[in-house]
Amino acid sequence: MIKKILIFGFIIFFNQTFLSTSYAVEPDEVLKNNKEELRARKISKNIRCLVCQNQSIDESNALLAKDLRILIRNKIQEGKSDKQIYNFLTERYGDFILLKPALKLNTLVLWLLPFIFFIIGIFFVFQHNKKSKKI
Amino acid sequence: MKKHISKLPSIIFLIISLVFLYLLIIERNPSEIPSALLNKNIPSFVTESLLKNEKFSSKNEFGKEVVIVNFFATWCKPCRDEHIYFNRLLNEKKIKIIGVNYKDDSLKTTKWLKSLGNPYSNVAIDKKGKIAIDWGVYGIPETFVVNSKGVIKYRHVGPINEKIYKEISLILNKIK
Repeated sequence: MIKKILIFGFIIFFNQTFLSTSYAVEPDEVLKNNKEELRARKISKNIRCLVCQNQSIDESNALLAKDLRILIRNKIQEGKSDKQIYNFLTERYGDFILLKPALKLNTLVLWLLPFIFFIIGIFFVFQHNKKSKKI
Repeated sequence: MKKHISKLPSIIFLIISLVFLYLLIIERNPSEIPSALLNKNIPSFVTESLLKNEKFSSKNEFGKEVVIVNFFATWCKPCRDEHIYFNRLLNEKKIKIIGVNYKDDSLKTTKWLKSLGNPYSNVAIDKKGKIAIDWGVYGIPETFVVNSKGVIKYRHVGPINEKIYKEISLILNKIK
């Protein structure tokens, strides 16, 4: 029984550490220029796969993800800068396509709320501690 | 004062729960992405035409009247389901409808249109899906309403049903 659990645990561990980091980039997509390929991979990791939502296009096997990966590589070969490529994508798919939302006026709440909640939390912990010391 | 402060976490928790409850109750599709192209000019393109012997050029097709654009493919089942609504739009609204045939076989599409009826005044061929990416399309079928100035006024992701048909009719009455 214990052996079975151990094997099961090992499979899960293996899955999590190795398989989840596997990428969907296919050999025919890879650029010959190593530097350019690295740039493409870096951009792809920041671009959301729109049909799978919580994967980047670098990890997704979806057809649209593949199309976008090829598009990014074509743009790099055309000599476009990273910023130009990100702009091209957000102009068409909105900020939603970026896995990390940009710091803008309309995303300010999203970025600041965790810190505000954190400060409020600390405040309450201190209040609570004060009370318990008195007792 | 202190008594009130100790109640604060519960109040914040209650407010957050209410927000979540509200988001659960309202009719909302989280997989639907708001279009970045709304109220912007259509992305222009030139490609092959399925119905005509000349090139399909967006410059010739848009900017004169209200146009409905439908991204479709014969391999997409929901496209077949929504097709009757385009026939209806053409008959009832006398509106110009343009199809964009997404990653499809032209011969199959011609047959498909023969058997289901062809509501499209012209069909652009998007063999590699490049036009779709330019239009911010992420899942076909998708439908756009473009006004007479060539500006995108409406976008729907997914097949058209009775409800969406009414929504589009309302928009068509509004923009003209």
